[in-house]
Amino acid sequence: MLGFLIRRLASSIALLLVTALLTFVLLSIPNQDVGRQLLGMQATQQAIDAKNAELGLDRPILVQFFDWLTHALQGDFGRSWFSSENVATAIGNRLPVTLSLMIGVTLVTAVFGYLLGVWAGTRRGRVDTFVQVFSVAGYALPGFLVTIVIVIVFAVKLGWFPAIGYTPITTSFTGWLSTITLPVISLSLAAVAGVAQQVRSSVIEVSRSDYIRTLTTRGLPRRRILFRHVLRNASAPALTVLGLQFVGLLGGAVIVEQIFGLPGIGSMTIKYTSQGDIPIIMGLVMLTAIGVVIINLLVDLAIGALLPKARVS
Amino acid sequence: MNKRVLGAIGAAVAAVLLLSGCAGGGSAASTTTHDKTLRLATMTVPQSLDPKDATGSALPFFQAVYDTLVLRTPDGDYKPMLATEWSYNDDQTVLSMTLRTGVTFDDGTPFDAKAAKANLERFRDSGGPDAANLAGITVDVVDDTHLTLTLQQPNPGLLFFLSDSAGLMANPSDFAQKDALVTSPDGTGPYVLDKDKTAIGTTWVYEKRKDYWGTAPDFSTVTMQVFDNENAVVNGLKTGQIDAAVLQTADQQLAAEQDKDLTLQDVLFDFQGILLFDRGGAVTPALAKPEVRQALNYALDRETLLKVVRDGRGQVTSQVWGVDSQGYEKSLDDYYSYDPAKAKQLLAEAGYPNGFELTLPRLTSIVTDNIASALQTDFAKVGVKLTWADVDAASALKQIFVEKKFSGMVMNMGQSSNDWIVYSTLIAPGTFNFFGTMDDEVNTLAAQARALPADQTAELYQKMNERIVQQAWFVPFYRMTYKLVTVPGITAAPQSGMAVPSIYNYSLSK
Repeated sequence: MLGFLIRRLASSIALLLVTALLTFVLLSIPNQDVGRQLLGMQATQQAIDAKNAELGLDRPILVQFFDWLTHALQGDFGRSWFSSENVATAIGNRLPVTLSLMIGVTLVTAVFGYLLGVWAGTRRGRVDTFVQVFSVAGYALPGFLVTIVIVIVFAVKLGWFPAIGYTPITTSFTGWLSTITLPVISLSLAAVAGVAQQVRSSVIEVSRSDYIRTLTTRGLPRRRILFRHVLRNASAPALTVLGLQFVGLLGGAVIVEQIFGLPGIGSMTIKYTSQGDIPIIMGLVMLTAIGVVIINLLVDLAIGALLPKARVS
Repeated sequence: MNKRVLGAIGAAVAAVLLLSGCAGGGSAASTTTHDKTLRLATMTVPQSLDPKDATGSALPFFQAVYDTLVLRTPDGDYKPMLATEWSYNDDQTVLSMTLRTGVTFDDGTPFDAKAAKANLERFRDSGGPDAANLAGITVDVVDDTHLTLTLQQPNPGLLFFLSDSAGLMANPSDFAQKDALVTSPDGTGPYVLDKDKTAIGTTWVYEKRKDYWGTAPDFSTVTMQVFDNENAVVNGLKTGQIDAAVLQTADQQLAAEQDKDLTLQDVLFDFQGILLFDRGGAVTPALAKPEVRQALNYALDRETLLKVVRDGRGQVTSQVWGVDSQGYEKSLDDYYSYDPAKAKQLLAEAGYPNGFELTLPRLTSIVTDNIASALQTDFAKVGVKLTWADVDAASALKQIFVEKKFSGMVMNMGQSSNDWIVYSTLIAPGTFNFFGTMDDEVNTLAAQARALPADQTAELYQKMNERIVQQAWFVPFYRMTYKLVTVPGITAAPQSGMAVPSIYNYSLSK
């Protein structure tokens, strides 16, 4: 296990470096005139050149990259060109919002997705049909439409929840819960559908395998077979889906964040990418890359813990 | 029913009741009186809170903490603020100002003529957005409360600039330290930034300044929250989580209109149209002919365009002068009626009976699909083949204004209430006339207007406007009607010459 961890750590660092370099170079290639964007269209060329030099944009791209990397390794990710935000602070301000959504959605998805999937996979019949219909509907309904309907009904019309904004958990737990409830529900519908479908299929497949049939014929209690053998073996694909969904939420929550006016990472990514704000984009890309590496590692470890045969020697 | 199920339902109901107590909003309708917090929604993020970076719709972020030398009232008049009196000499080249006494910055440093000079010279020399507006001025301190601004030549836009971003006065003791004001503003304004509650980039929180020299504002706290779509803003207005906002899009204006408790006022500031830079024909030779430019104007079905793009929310126009300016003439709004036959005839007279090819840059944030296809269709009817060149926001400015790749572009532009600013921004050689093509009659009128006091220039600007329209320097589509929306308990006045109200224009309803 230690060797596995060391190898994964080494490959992760290499992955992060390559990601950083590629992103920086690709972002720097466009014919962008940051000085002019900042100073406005009426600024003189001299002032624009001075601004570009102040930002270090008059240097070769690789020099700029190594300068960024040196500072980043010391925890200094720079400052946004277009809003003067400290990159680390800006991401730090928005990360709790998106993390709240991600964790909330993942918990809801894990609980309801597994419950529905197991229910459908074990009971079959009408229950299975119901779960199948729910899964198709969850996938088919456009996320933005579901979100808009939810906000209009439960926030604007009924006034049960705030329509916009985010309250940090450190300020008020109930306030925090009230601001993330509707966004989490909006994002969870499709996610629950996906995981339920995956768990259902896995449960059915594992239930039909020879060793489960053997255990059943030996008279082991049905519940024990389900929890100790079927669910354990059926969990791997579902865990993978859950992990992918968790990572996808980093950027996938954009629409929900925009509709609820949540100052999260998703809407931040859209806004600053369209502006070409390289310091912020680099910070976001590194955050995402590190998140992907960690989640994948955790998923691998979880699968390894659940399924000894899946462990890497 | 199963006890567990009943228990779960009970818990869910309790949770909803508990959380709905935290919803904090309620409908705007239920609010008859208002607390002393003003919650503004905006789509604009200021580059920083240093006045040298202040521009356009971001001005309220600065007005909260910095006073300007001159106050511009909602109807565009100039009134005393940090300057109590001012006057020009006879040839309009020296502006003498008397400054207010007893005003201090956040750290207690007094505001005086030296501080004003330091600020004005910083704007002039910083290379920022206001450098061009104050270029060539010399500032002399007469005594603590008097200073003079000497101009190389008259600048009829100067008082406007001093009531706008170039008039924002910051504490000069912060100038030596680079970036000191970027996130820590230090001015004499009615509010101070609460840095603990502010999250730069998303939410700015301002608290009322206790020792403000002027009339105390109605609000103890002002928050400005940035949104990237108007859907959330309208939901916030409807639930009372936002007190005021300017809505630009037709569909969200419609959504706000459906809530009868909200107050909506028209804001006419931005116009949309094609700026034809290439009137000398450097990129597209056909555009050198006035008849060709006139043909483009006649080819355009403005009424249909306005209806399709903005649900009719606006006023079609053929002029770039706005309704608040001296040069505006109502009759010029429909100077170019939709007349494809006349457009064809003009093209034939200009030697282009089969039309010509025109390539314009397309910024999708401005040129939406319906605008793109409508222009192509209208121009194609008279033989002009319009091709859209997709440009990304990051490199657009360079391609258009530095590399001069295109003959024109579709833009949304504010219509200043100051005629000289309209002239110097859109007409005179410079940013939006980067090919420098001019007209003798316009030059003569500009020279005359420049040398006269503002109250004697209306006729000159009207003549200039007529000439520009007749020569078809632009293909304006329409002025866009925006809506200033407020909740019950809040009063706001639209600001002449700005898309958003000044911070002083908000008050508690009496």
